[in-house]
Amino acid sequence: MTERLTLARRIDEDTAKRRLQRLGATACEPAWVSLWATALGLPNGTPGAWLLCTKEMRRALLLVGTELPTQAEEPSSALNIDSGLPPTPEALKRLWLWERMGTPRYWRIQVLDSAPTPIWLPCWLGYTRGRQHRLLVISGLSGEPLPMLKPIVLKGLQQAYRNGPESETKSSRANERREKAV
Amino acid sequence: MEGFTLFDTVVLIGYISLIAWIGSRFGKDQHNPEDYFLGGRKIPGWAIGLSVMATQASAITFIGAPGWGFEGGLERLVTFINVPLAMIVLILVLVPIFHRAGIYSIYELLERRFGPATRTLTALLFLIARGLATGVVLYAPALVLAVVTGWSVNLTIIIMAVLAITYTVMGGISAVIWTDVVQMFVLWLGALLSIFFLVTSLPGGWGDVFDFGAASGMFNAIDLSFDPSVTYSLWAGLLGGFFLHVAYFGTDQSQIQRVLSSPSVLDAQRSLLIGGYLLIPQMLLFLFIGVILATYYQQHGLTPPEDLNELLPRYVVSAFPSGMAGLVIAGVFAAAMSSLDSALNSLSAVTVRDFYSRYIKPNASDAHYLKASRMATIFWGLYATLFAFFAGNLGPVIEAVNQIGSWFYGALLGTFLLAIFSHRSNARGAMAGLIAGMLSVWAVSALLDISWLYNNTVGVAVSMSVGYLVSLTATAPSQDQLSDVMMAEAAPDMQAVLAARAGNAQVIGQEARLTRRRCIGLFAWFCLMLGMLALLQGWAN
Repeated sequence: MTERLTLARRIDEDTAKRRLQRLGATACEPAWVSLWATALGLPNGTPGAWLLCTKEMRRALLLVGTELPTQAEEPSSALNIDSGLPPTPEALKRLWLWERMGTPRYWRIQVLDSAPTPIWLPCWLGYTRGRQHRLLVISGLSGEPLPMLKPIVLKGLQQAYRNGPESETKSSRANERREKAV
Repeated sequence: MEGFTLFDTVVLIGYISLIAWIGSRFGKDQHNPEDYFLGGRKIPGWAIGLSVMATQASAITFIGAPGWGFEGGLERLVTFINVPLAMIVLILVLVPIFHRAGIYSIYELLERRFGPATRTLTALLFLIARGLATGVVLYAPALVLAVVTGWSVNLTIIIMAVLAITYTVMGGISAVIWTDVVQMFVLWLGALLSIFFLVTSLPGGWGDVFDFGAASGMFNAIDLSFDPSVTYSLWAGLLGGFFLHVAYFGTDQSQIQRVLSSPSVLDAQRSLLIGGYLLIPQMLLFLFIGVILATYYQQHGLTPPEDLNELLPRYVVSAFPSGMAGLVIAGVFAAAMSSLDSALNSLSAVTVRDFYSRYIKPNASDAHYLKASRMATIFWGLYATLFAFFAGNLGPVIEAVNQIGSWFYGALLGTFLLAIFSHRSNARGAMAGLIAGMLSVWAVSALLDISWLYNNTVGVAVSMSVGYLVSLTATAPSQDQLSDVMMAEAAPDMQAVLAARAGNAQVIGQEARLTRRRCIGLFAWFCLMLGMLALLQGWAN
């Protein structure tokens, strides 16, 4: 299996704090979420954007750019959340079809024939505290809120809580080794 | 009076050709595929704002609102005074839920919550209501062209329909935000120039307008009557118009599609904020043109046209310099295209996603679905064209669009609110509430003499209460069915997890939340607008 790429964190801690503060967060921490990137572009052309998703996600995230903005270093020791398997190629094409229909500007753009690339997406998690604790997820690439990732992140947090703080990075590294072995 | 000259015709054809060329050039032949995705991000926020306005307002505002202003002054502004409040509800309640659910059509949310029958019925209602309203949107610019060219309205409708369907099947000209910006600029320029020419043609200028407006009660925008038969009382506007606009902006796929395809919740909120702030001033501008036209007609002893929708187009072609009239009329067309192609696109998307791919061809290829969506666009274009032939009998066009919506939207909104706020409600209750809501609107409009603005309130109240009561006769929904409308982190075990994580995370200072600030801003804007209208009315009386 292809080695999991790590996307470079562009939003630094100060910027993330400012953005999360505007959304009402009172505490924050960095995290990495494992996703699958699939190239989009004109037929027989170079990629123009990437769909980021997993089998469980109902809609994919769109990352614009001809190349994935990767970094050489692996994710730091922050919280690493493994979100599961990639969608099947058919499911992915169908997912993109509905996006295209909703936005005619995308009609000519297609899912390019290539295997999904496993990636680590940098995120910042914000915690708000009103009557209840709430979670905010913003992208470590753009700083945009990513509510669609919340179910995955919550599941990851729950897993990490059950396993104890030490298990967070261990489990993600074990996953990495398993993937590389495959 | 110059009329629509040959030069105007050249400008009209040139402008529409230019817009079509820009649409096809930048919408289809981009060499770098990144441009498809980044198109919107390289453009400044104010341009995106005008583009949003172009889709929301467009031609029917230009020709419908002056007719309202001519007939009743500013009284019908109460229909729109509630828009900032409606946007607050959308920003706080509906948009976050729709966005988090990751849905393409909002009716999907009802399927997850209540099952396929509710989704199918609500999507069908949308298709019927929006299809009819699109007919009115088609009729409006066709009327303008007919007035200025002397062609028959029906022939003009057919020409407009062919143009609109072609644009939509090709991929939509509204893909290019700058064309929308040009259209809005031309429309507003047309409105401001109309005011300039009209006021300078009056001997006393603005003084005449204010004297005539005050003397004939045209500045009485706020009617505090509690009589429900008063169509445009403040209460009808606040209570009825509020639900109308929450339903229109929140449960009509043609409006919410832009929100669902926004890259983030904040972007989606931003596009709603623009409407929340600008719709009232825009409507005020066009209603005021109606008041000025009334002064003009009174001073010149003119007889108004039988159809008040023709008022402003007639004035533009008679008073504007040659070429300028062609430009403004062309702006009306282009703006209509922008609204039409987004309406036809949403109708076709719902047809394919909610019906064709579910019931007729569930596992067809992408190419097949894209072809089906183009066929659906043509079908809805023809449906709207047929209805447009009869739209002239429905009175002023904006009211016609809103009245069509009021037959369905209240019950539809009630079903969504039931899905979100009542975790006890279920499929049986939702269907019963939806049907009872629509029947009650029909009964109230047929049997009682009350303002049509209350139709939505009745629809919401009946569908929610009947829906809840009937739900009690069947089992409560499962946790899975509630997952889209409940905060995922609300469960007690998740609260413990989040408390532990927040305790170990870096603390950041507290600041007023962006969403809260935005909502407070909209509420302040609503108060300001209402206060200004009250001051104007107080001065006039």
